[in-house]
Amino acid sequence: MTLVRSGRWITGIALLLVAGVYVRALVYTPVEIHQGLAQKIYYVHVPSAWSAMLAMGMVGLASILFLFLKDPRYDRFASASAEVGTAFSLVMLTTGPLWARPIWNTWWTWDARLTLTLMLFFLFVGYQVLRGAVTDPGLRARYAAVVGICGMVLLPFIHLSVYLFRTLHPMPIVLKPSKPSLPGSMLVTLLLSVGVFTLLYVGFVMQRYAIGERSDDA
Amino acid sequence: MTPDQIPQTGGYMVAAYIVTAVILLAYTIVLWRRGSAKTKS
Repeated sequence: MTLVRSGRWITGIALLLVAGVYVRALVYTPVEIHQGLAQKIYYVHVPSAWSAMLAMGMVGLASILFLFLKDPRYDRFASASAEVGTAFSLVMLTTGPLWARPIWNTWWTWDARLTLTLMLFFLFVGYQVLRGAVTDPGLRARYAAVVGICGMVLLPFIHLSVYLFRTLHPMPIVLKPSKPSLPGSMLVTLLLSVGVFTLLYVGFVMQRYAIGERSDDA
Repeated sequence: MTPDQIPQTGGYMVAAYIVTAVILLAYTIVLWRRGSAKTKS
């Protein structure tokens, strides 16, 4: 089975599982009484943010490996991961304001967490614009690797921004030193969703990598 | 807080879930078409 076909299978299975997560989140997970149904946006917003950050982390790692080893496969993987990360960061940046509006009474605020995640999105887009603008494959790969590493450096600042700055965005309730402060059924739904979105990331990247492999402008 | 006092924010949830599905399905279709186009050439 070719990589693109394997990627399609994994993507198909992941999309079915996303549908399962929808059912579990909407039907079987309790409603949070202070926020109402809008709190359930959590189960798509957080996993998409996780996948976007995973994607940029992978772009950065692959970029470092490319600069050291000069193996074009790492550059191709970084390119694939960046494109997939753009899709997930778009989900993150659209579901966030839809959650913020009823809870914070505003669609957007220029606080540290939101501004940094917007920067992440622009880095994804910029990475691809750069790849499209440089015609020499060697230069393109090196320039893109530098942008990819800058994106990876941004990730810890995004995670820690809620501790470092005053922000409307809530503190982490799962990825923190102490135990997750989330009721069991909500935590299970969240972790399932994170797992499924990660699988979707894998399926997307496999397909995109295979497309890049066959194309000169990967 | 009684059930009737829970904020009525379901519309935002529905919008968020629809937007997520649209973006993910659209990207799936884009990848499928690009993958098929390359296979044929």
